[in-house]
Amino acid sequence: MEIKRMASSSSSGLTFKLHPLVIVNISDHYTRVKSQLNPPPLTSTSATVNGVENQQQAPRVYGCVIGVQRGRTVEIFNSFELLYDPSTHSLDRPFLKKKQELYKKVFPHFYILGWYSTGSDAQESDMHIHRALMDINESPLYVLLNPAINPTQKDLPVTIYESELHVIDGIPQLIFVRSSYTIETVEAERISVDHVAHLKPSDGGSAATQLAAHLTGIHSAIKMLNSRIRVLHHYLVGMQKGDIPCENSLLRQVSSLLRRLPAIESEKFQDDFLMEYNDTLLITYLAMFTNCSSTMNELVDKFNTAYDRHSRRGGRTAFI
Amino acid sequence: MEIEEKQAEVIDHFVKQVSAQKGSALGSVFVEATSHPSLFAFSEILAVPTVAELEGTDNSVHLEMLRLFAHGTWSDYKRNSGKFPQLVPDQVLKLKQLTVLTLAETKKVLSYDQLMRELDVTNVRELEDFLINDCMYAGLVRGKLDQLQRYFEVQFAAGRDLRPGQLGSMIQTLSNWLATSDNLLVTIQDKIKWADTMSELDKKHRKELEDRVMEVKKAVSVKTASRPILTSKGSMKSTLNLVE
Repeated sequence: MEIKRMASSSSSGLTFKLHPLVIVNISDHYTRVKSQLNPPPLTSTSATVNGVENQQQAPRVYGCVIGVQRGRTVEIFNSFELLYDPSTHSLDRPFLKKKQELYKKVFPHFYILGWYSTGSDAQESDMHIHRALMDINESPLYVLLNPAINPTQKDLPVTIYESELHVIDGIPQLIFVRSSYTIETVEAERISVDHVAHLKPSDGGSAATQLAAHLTGIHSAIKMLNSRIRVLHHYLVGMQKGDIPCENSLLRQVSSLLRRLPAIESEKFQDDFLMEYNDTLLITYLAMFTNCSSTMNELVDKFNTAYDRHSRRGGRTAFI
Repeated sequence: MEIEEKQAEVIDHFVKQVSAQKGSALGSVFVEATSHPSLFAFSEILAVPTVAELEGTDNSVHLEMLRLFAHGTWSDYKRNSGKFPQLVPDQVLKLKQLTVLTLAETKKVLSYDQLMRELDVTNVRELEDFLINDCMYAGLVRGKLDQLQRYFEVQFAAGRDLRPGQLGSMIQTLSNWLATSDNLLVTIQDKIKWADTMSELDKKHRKELEDRVMEVKKAVSVKTASRPILTSKGSMKSTLNLVE
């Protein structure tokens, strides 16, 4: 196990904005490669760097991230895949150049900001790749996605590393330092992320139907509101008892907030609400009726054909 | 809450001024404070000890005026105009704005007639101008003006200084709100459970139905296999249809 030398936070002062498209691209790449590795696993893309074999068939995928840098803000918009050449420990340069030219034609403002890979932690060998990219971008970024699914984890398993020159044991060395980032979404990305999020209820609760999933969403929203009101209530009670010094500005804000209640008690609201409720009930009733009548119709037809002994002979016709 | 942010600096400034001076000089500071266009909160100034000293002295009229601005309305001023010093036009405007805030405290829908009465304006145009320019653009209130029904619907109103008893009622309102949301949470949870149980029942029912159909199919096919093949064509067709 090689020693991973990393500082805990970066000091370059750059703010990073990551778009969801990049995360989806990386995870898609990883999933594709992993599912294509049917047993026996041919480790063509799994990294065997420094002799560390990934026994759990978790292939490492590599690629480039591109985006825009404006002043101190770095915004990562998109990414594309690259092949890793284990023999030379570097990424496929001619392909990279070709892709870069193609992207430049469509997005003239995008530059290569760095590269990405999957895994649980940054490794020493990644520094080689990092250094190799330094001729395109003097301070490239390393985006790392951890593909292990951890149900208790609340944040995204994505970390962004920068490289910094630190003096360790008297030798100036480049090490990876972790940086914080924010997620920035374009409207199109928001729609797709929203769609994916609604496919399955989030907290793993057993919400079998769509109705239950919808209600669960509302439930969690109200729970959050409830906890906030509870905090306010506690604060005011404390102020009344005298434990906390009275802060007038806050009290004014709370009073203005409370004046907005009751929020939905006007007569007009009741009218509209009841009308809509009645409409929904009527439509459901109508649908039920149609269903019933069609089932009856089928039943009668079957009955007729089943017990239809005296038809076509004039005189009595069958049941209906 | 932008009003609070805008006011914070002004409040600090005046509190410093008030604590630095005493006695009759405070009177002029009060006049300045109450005419300031973005200051609507006076309880901080009232809390400064030098201000409380004014109680009972000759300058208590100024203190009364400050209290009027903190908690009172324009009608209070008109009723007891003897007790208060003469107000400059800026202060008049300020007091009227604060009156609108007080009215918005009790009802969400304010009729034009009531507003015109409280604010001493005679025509609707003036009233609307006052509401739009001095109340809405200042950020004090947000709402909709309904001219046909002569209502002003308040959606948001900034808070005034708290009267001593108001804290208790606010706590009461908050606890009511908490109770309602707790009940609502329980109801939603019940509904979720109901939806789940209904879908379970539905699935079971469907499965039972299919099982029965399978059984009947098997029974009929056994019967037709064991029957002699010389049955009439009609009854053969009819049994098949029944199974379908």
